[in-house]
Amino acid sequence: MPEVILPIGPQHPALKEPVNFRVIVDGETIVGLELDVSYTHRGIEKAAEQRDFIRVVPLLERVCGICSHAHAQAFCTGIEEIMQLEVPPRAQYLRTIVAELERMHSHILWLGVAAHVVGFNTLFMWTWRDRETTQDILEEMTGNRMNYGMNEVGGVRRDLSPGQIRSILSRLPKLEEQIGKYVEMVKGEETMLLRFRGIGKLSKAEALRYGTVGPTARASGVDYDVRRDDPSIAYPEVPWKVVTDTNGDVYGRTLVRIGELQESLGIIRYCLEHLPEGQIYVPAPKVAPKAEILSRYEAPRGELAHFIRTNGTDKVDRIDIRTPTLANWTSVTVSLVNQNIADIPVIVAAIDPCLSCTSRITILSERGRRRGEMSWAQLVDHGQRFYREGGRS
Amino acid sequence: MSMFPLSGSLSRRLANWARVRSPWVSVFNTGSCNACDIEVIATLMPRFDAERFGILAKGSPRHADILIVTGPVTTKQESRLRRIWEQMPEPKYVIAMGACGASGGVFQGLYHVMDGVESVIPVDVFVAGCPPRPDEIINAVVACLMLMKEDLDRGGKEWRRKPVERPATGTAPQEPGKVPA
Amino acid sequence: MTGLLGLEEVKSALERFGTVEQVRFNRIKLATTPEKVHEALFRAQTLLACDHLIQISALDNGQNFELIYHLTGPHRTVISIAIALPRDRPEMPTTSDILPPAGIYERQIYDLLGIVFTGHPNLKRIILSEDWPENEFPLRKDWKPRPRIPSGGTREEGK
Repeated sequence: MPEVILPIGPQHPALKEPVNFRVIVDGETIVGLELDVSYTHRGIEKAAEQRDFIRVVPLLERVCGICSHAHAQAFCTGIEEIMQLEVPPRAQYLRTIVAELERMHSHILWLGVAAHVVGFNTLFMWTWRDRETTQDILEEMTGNRMNYGMNEVGGVRRDLSPGQIRSILSRLPKLEEQIGKYVEMVKGEETMLLRFRGIGKLSKAEALRYGTVGPTARASGVDYDVRRDDPSIAYPEVPWKVVTDTNGDVYGRTLVRIGELQESLGIIRYCLEHLPEGQIYVPAPKVAPKAEILSRYEAPRGELAHFIRTNGTDKVDRIDIRTPTLANWTSVTVSLVNQNIADIPVIVAAIDPCLSCTSRITILSERGRRRGEMSWAQLVDHGQRFYREGGRS
Repeated sequence: MSMFPLSGSLSRRLANWARVRSPWVSVFNTGSCNACDIEVIATLMPRFDAERFGILAKGSPRHADILIVTGPVTTKQESRLRRIWEQMPEPKYVIAMGACGASGGVFQGLYHVMDGVESVIPVDVFVAGCPPRPDEIINAVVACLMLMKEDLDRGGKEWRRKPVERPATGTAPQEPGKVPA
Repeated sequence: MTGLLGLEEVKSALERFGTVEQVRFNRIKLATTPEKVHEALFRAQTLLACDHLIQISALDNGQNFELIYHLTGPHRTVISIAIALPRDRPEMPTTSDILPPAGIYERQIYDLLGIVFTGHPNLKRIILSEDWPENEFPLRKDWKPRPRIPSGGTREEGK
């Protein structure tokens, strides 16, 4: 029985060069799976214990460059609760705007990558071009396109002028129009439907059992979104809804993410139009009292949990971060078994892996022997060829 | 309005020369937060369109002329980075991206990090930023191309290599990435 | 969402395992002992409708190790089940049989803090590199980092 090992890299699926992701397969079917997240482990949790509340925020922002605001957000709201700080409403609204812009840039990025994986490069180019609008807005607001440095304990660092608000609002309709087109493209494009429907299916019970979070869980009908269920910043005051789907497959996750894009745009517009006057931060004490808190936030990829314990000093005693991608890997493990190799890129990409929160996957059979290797690029090509030539066996 | 920083005939000459030379660029992630990697991809997208300068991101690092390294180099990736660099054919160039590439950035001193690319392989160009913008990345690649041309004219890299002083320690060479027992 | 759980409701389900207190408007904490965790988790799942494991927080508080299992369900209350493990023998039975995501979380805790989860089907290194030395647990308070030796490059040479 031929056994092939397919290495797939920890780099973002859109990049062509793999580092490691080994699958041992039996013919075209996957037999088993193993996980190794060491390639991006940097030791952030330990370092956070040695940095005070101002210096630790830039470090936490860079746990992941794509959901950086989410990490800073979860941390700051946690510490603010421990310190019993009353953060001004204007700051909360500004945080919400940046958070939703981040969600938009992340989902648009994902859509492009998912399209690229199935060979639909037109959509890849179009989405990333539209993404530049969100990046420009973020740069005007915060000074950087990624890793914004907007959050601090007590509020935000930068304000918006009325001129900026008008300028941002004027760019939203075009973006809204483009996002509307994505829905049509996804529903009308044969390749995407073929590669996404029925793939990586997770029932609601399975999604819950394996601890999935975020759009991956919501696509299986799990009605859980931390922005509604443990709200912080401005979410309780803004009208918006949680997007769920019942398909449970990669197609469902695509629809959920596009739906969230539309909701996010609405939230941003509301926050800009109803931005309260006032301060953008409140001075925070240097030292936090002894306390512990579980601070959660809905990052673009799902529920992010920061467990923070403070000890009366100006540093945390412990910060334990559970990233959404780690929560979703178990479901990948499960949903890849007995699937085709050709579907690996799509199933992995469908949970929107934040590859700096996690890293590579080694997939082994019980025997653990290996004979051949395929790169991620070859794997993506293999998938495209497999479906061009007739589809699943 | 062009995104390219220089103006006039110099940029045209550069663009022409770059197109003729058409280097292969490959990106290697040594444990970054992914912001740099995303900005590299954004550089190839229609808005910044690095390909009009003849910059192609294709192929594996083993076939690349220019290796762009992102990340602070975790201990896990260190030996792989070294191996990839050794397998690249000459003339090879390395661009270290961002604050991480220069010194480890915000991760400097952490227990699973080697503190920047230069502690593992020689670097030709550093790009500042966290992450560097796509136009800064294009700037860096073009600067690298200028460096390549100058190296060609001067017969290699020796003219800019700094004098080496071997530290006189007496410790036995360690295996890469391993902590001493 | 079915409405937050009341303290009395949680107490009647979990009081037999230890002290139950309300620590936040939507978080109720049970302090118990390692051997009772499995049953407490099971009761939280069955009687309190907890269907989602948020996190297994693990820390070293200087004296001993603490593990806190955070669960939630459609009621959106967080049930935190906390235990302490002795420093000289940090062992804990695995909960990955009733909570599948714990499989990954427990491996990470083992790697970084050295807590051994007995009965775990695959308790191997997951987050530290394969050449990381054995018995070096970075998140322990008494762990001191060693100098890292690079394999090449120009850092030491001619600055």
